[in-house]
Amino acid sequence: MDGFVSALSFTNLGFGLLGTFLGTLVGVLPGIGPALAIALLLPITYTVAPSSALIMFAAIYYGAMYGGSTTSILLNTPGESGSVMTALEGNQMARRGRAGAALATAAIGSFIAGSIATLILAFAAPEIADLAIKVGSADYVALMLVAFTTVGSLLGSSQIRGFISLAIGLVLGLVGADLQSGLTRLAFGNVSASEGIETVIVIVSIFALGEALYIASRFKDSGWTVISMKGKALMSREDVRRSWKPWLRGTAIGFPLGIIPAGGSEVPTFLSYSVEKKLSKHPEEFGKGAIEGVAGPEAANNANAAGALVPLLALGLPTSATAAVILVAFQTYQIEAGPMLFATNPDLIWTLIASLFIGNTLLLVMNLPLVRVWVQLLKIPRPYLFAGISCFALLGAYALNGSTFDLQVAIAIGIVGFLFRRFGMPITPLILGLILGPNLELQFRRALQISAGDYGTLIATPLSKILYISLILVLMAPTAIRLVKRSRAKTVK
Amino acid sequence: MGSLLLLGVIVIWDTSRTELPALNMTISPKLFPLIIGWFLIALCAILAIQIIRGGTAVPEGLRAGDKIEKSDYKSFAFILLSFLSYIVLITRGGFVVASTVVFVGIAYSFGNRKFVKTLLIGLIFAVVTYFSFTRYLHVDLPAGILKGIL
Repeated sequence: MDGFVSALSFTNLGFGLLGTFLGTLVGVLPGIGPALAIALLLPITYTVAPSSALIMFAAIYYGAMYGGSTTSILLNTPGESGSVMTALEGNQMARRGRAGAALATAAIGSFIAGSIATLILAFAAPEIADLAIKVGSADYVALMLVAFTTVGSLLGSSQIRGFISLAIGLVLGLVGADLQSGLTRLAFGNVSASEGIETVIVIVSIFALGEALYIASRFKDSGWTVISMKGKALMSREDVRRSWKPWLRGTAIGFPLGIIPAGGSEVPTFLSYSVEKKLSKHPEEFGKGAIEGVAGPEAANNANAAGALVPLLALGLPTSATAAVILVAFQTYQIEAGPMLFATNPDLIWTLIASLFIGNTLLLVMNLPLVRVWVQLLKIPRPYLFAGISCFALLGAYALNGSTFDLQVAIAIGIVGFLFRRFGMPITPLILGLILGPNLELQFRRALQISAGDYGTLIATPLSKILYISLILVLMAPTAIRLVKRSRAKTVK
Repeated sequence: MGSLLLLGVIVIWDTSRTELPALNMTISPKLFPLIIGWFLIALCAILAIQIIRGGTAVPEGLRAGDKIEKSDYKSFAFILLSFLSYIVLITRGGFVVASTVVFVGIAYSFGNRKFVKTLLIGLIFAVVTYFSFTRYLHVDLPAGILKGIL
């Protein structure tokens, strides 16, 4: 309850409001997502109090989930990756003049899922943190390896490309002086490089600069066609009747998948969509604007964002790109996210959780009646939009240390971002590799130091054994599914 | 086919880069780079096999089987040039100059041809950003040649 008092203080409420506003903004605009928005705002961590900044970042995270649905429905261009499924049915609904109902079911579903999930987060995170205190270095190594494997395999068009992205992230994380031995790695004699590559610069430039290069080289001429919205964002009784079950199912799918490292909102929204398609009484409507296909994935999307905060707060382990950036914010405040966080900074945590409830309510208010205002944003000409985004990104890269070396890195990473998009490689594994790589190395060495170099320690605890088994399962799953399909195809013949 | 060749270049680039840790290995701090290096080499090998089998890359935003058009490298190069000009301009000319130039450059690459309007919008954008960052967020940005005016 103290958390609510603190979250409702004038300053924090202001930052929360600003965050929901910015979050919806970046969610609505295609091409920029919450990870980029938060990364660009990281410089404020030097001047703003931790609780205010974190409230704002969390609000951006939630807000982007709302904003993304608007773009998917009216533009058929998903504003962020979690809205891809929404675009399928939502855009069809809009084409049939039911944009209002689609937007309403998305916003209300997001609100319900967000509220339920935040409530579970409030209860689950401290419990998990209690357990996590007992987790040793070897277990952390296993946990991170599982996170890498799942994120690498589940995202993108192919497993191998996910792993390549991860490996490049790990390489970037290696650059600079090694924390324990002081040995400089991969700096090629460059003094600036020996200080390491700033995570923020990588994130900002791979998203913003990479996107600008990619869009300009490929989709420059394909403009946007916004479907005009008639009437208000309201649902009929029939719509509510068909939506409430998908909302709850979406929450049930999204939250747990946020906790485990499944790499963001693609997988849960996809799962929710296929579940709704299977369970629907009107399967023939799917692909032509079925409201269940909007309600379920949108709820899953928001519940997933809340779920991702559980391992972030309780273990210091991000499971999505946005969570990874929020972890960087914690690091700049010298606050160590993880099991000790609930003991050392309880005020911060409860203020944050309370602000999530408040932010969620604000978002519902902002998104239902004000949806037309957001739609206006889509009328910004694309040249100006990308020019502005790129300028902000370069500013962010430069302002961090005021060094032109950082700008060179940023531009190089921008080219990498372009190549990733051109060759269908997912970006999230790279970010996780970059942020968690050094951490993994640290825990790995710590575990081996304790055991005096005995590698057996890595699989000594029950938790690590379970984790390694699940790791092998995740690795084998795609191959196994393919084999089963093939053998089935044979028996049919 | 162009995409295939480029992917090959990336593969070689990756491999040659990661051979460095492999060469000067001793003990502890070298272990990790070494593992990652071999991991990368192994991945490149698998990727090469996949490509030979026909698993070419699908650009983001397209679906498998869509026709892959050639990238527009003229716009690409122009944007890259704008980015690079920022490095030079931010120290010589200051933030507002650099931002305005990049703004106009990128808008041009995206097909915008209304120079005067774009220049004005870019300038306003840069000035507003400059003041909101220096005054309210206390982030120092170089004023550059406009020092007396700003």
